[in-house]
Amino acid sequence: MSVTDEMLSAYLDGELSEVDLRAVEAALEDQPELRDRLAALMAADAAAQESFAAIVAEPVPLALAAAIQNAPVADLASPAGHANLPNAPRRPAQLLAAAVAALALSVGSIGGYLTGREDGGARVAEARNWLDDIADYHAVYAAQVRHLVEVPADEADHIETWLTATLGVGVVIPDLAGDGLEFQGARLLVAAGRPVAQLIYTDTAGGVVALCQISTETPQDSFETRQINDFDLVSFGNAAANFVVVGDAGRGDLSAIAESAASQV
Amino acid sequence: MHALIDHRPEHTRLPEPRRCIAPRLQAVTSADRPERPYGQDGMALSAELKQDLIAMLPRLRRFARSLTRSVPEADDLVQEACLRAIARADQWDRSQPLDRWMFRITRNLWISELRKQQVRMGEGQVAAEETHELRTLETGEAQVVASQLRGLIAALPGDLAPVLLAVSVEGFSYAEAADLFEIPIGTVMSRVHRARKILAANIAATGGDSR
Repeated sequence: MSVTDEMLSAYLDGELSEVDLRAVEAALEDQPELRDRLAALMAADAAAQESFAAIVAEPVPLALAAAIQNAPVADLASPAGHANLPNAPRRPAQLLAAAVAALALSVGSIGGYLTGREDGGARVAEARNWLDDIADYHAVYAAQVRHLVEVPADEADHIETWLTATLGVGVVIPDLAGDGLEFQGARLLVAAGRPVAQLIYTDTAGGVVALCQISTETPQDSFETRQINDFDLVSFGNAAANFVVVGDAGRGDLSAIAESAASQV
Repeated sequence: MHALIDHRPEHTRLPEPRRCIAPRLQAVTSADRPERPYGQDGMALSAELKQDLIAMLPRLRRFARSLTRSVPEADDLVQEACLRAIARADQWDRSQPLDRWMFRITRNLWISELRKQQVRMGEGQVAAEETHELRTLETGEAQVVASQLRGLIAALPGDLAPVLLAVSVEGFSYAEAADLFEIPIGTVMSRVHRARKILAANIAATGGDSR
């Protein structure tokens, strides 16, 4: 039996029949040329995986995550609800309307810009600061229990390499054990249109604190504290990046945590 | 989970052939397969489903990108697929991993969209597979949008990239991929092979520089 490249490809996928598998194995023993062909297919596979990995490493747009977080579920329990869902997808205009509606919901429930603020109207008109995005992200991701992080803490070396390469500035993982925080892992976010490293820590009570970092040409020269929605944020800068520590409003230790982090980055 | 079991016997004179996905991707993949069913209560179910969908977004966006070859179209498609899944959470067959269900919803929505585009272009109603083939033959447009795929895989025709992604990266067996893409198993085998041949030729042409 002659071994085709298609069989070699299926061999890589573990999809050959017993008969073909034995034939390929035997041929690979005897024919160096066949091994070269297999090696070429494997190199192609590795290249494809690398390219696909680059796509999955891209930050997810906040608007997309927020649209899902705020998707309406009211008619789920009602059989009649399904009658409202045609099999064909909605037309682009309807899809756009849904996206706009989802974003509006996100401003209402995650952002909360129009509620509880005396200057609410003007606030929306302002250009969004990256800290606003960080607060929104914290609302989405701090609620994740099973999926709190994208890359877990035991891959700390990879996290630092990956995020340093993505942000273009050095990313290090500060040890915040002295502040009662244990590092859990990291995510890549996008805020103000730029990549942000989000390092996630938890305290013994399960509270989530994130240290976020963004490269900048105008680093902050002092610590600043502000509250956005239900979160306190303490921001600071170093030579090439701005940072912010974010956690639940009123926890009181974020300034100390920010100073610990600042001494290590 | 046939696809996750490696049936190949040891072949010590060859390098490890595949499944060399970066560790963090494996971590994301395994985390996306819920170990427990979602709650029966509608609201709780949707809340948990949303969490799992948000965690799965990078992989859904990648799959959608392999279908649409365009970032904005892919993100629209992913959002539509997730909203549909949330609205139909009670229809999810929990014997099926969530990612398999989501890939199916995403692919079906995209095929519907292609059919509608075809109708709008005056081509009339055509079969799903033909639609996809016609689409990939629009070389001018395809060349423009191909840049939205990364690296070497941008060189793959539109009918090959999603199948290679499913089999080589997402761990679909040929039978699972055949089911997802509604093509015979032999066609899955042939497309995966053609994709690898094209990539191998490109690697050879660029002197091994895979970027």
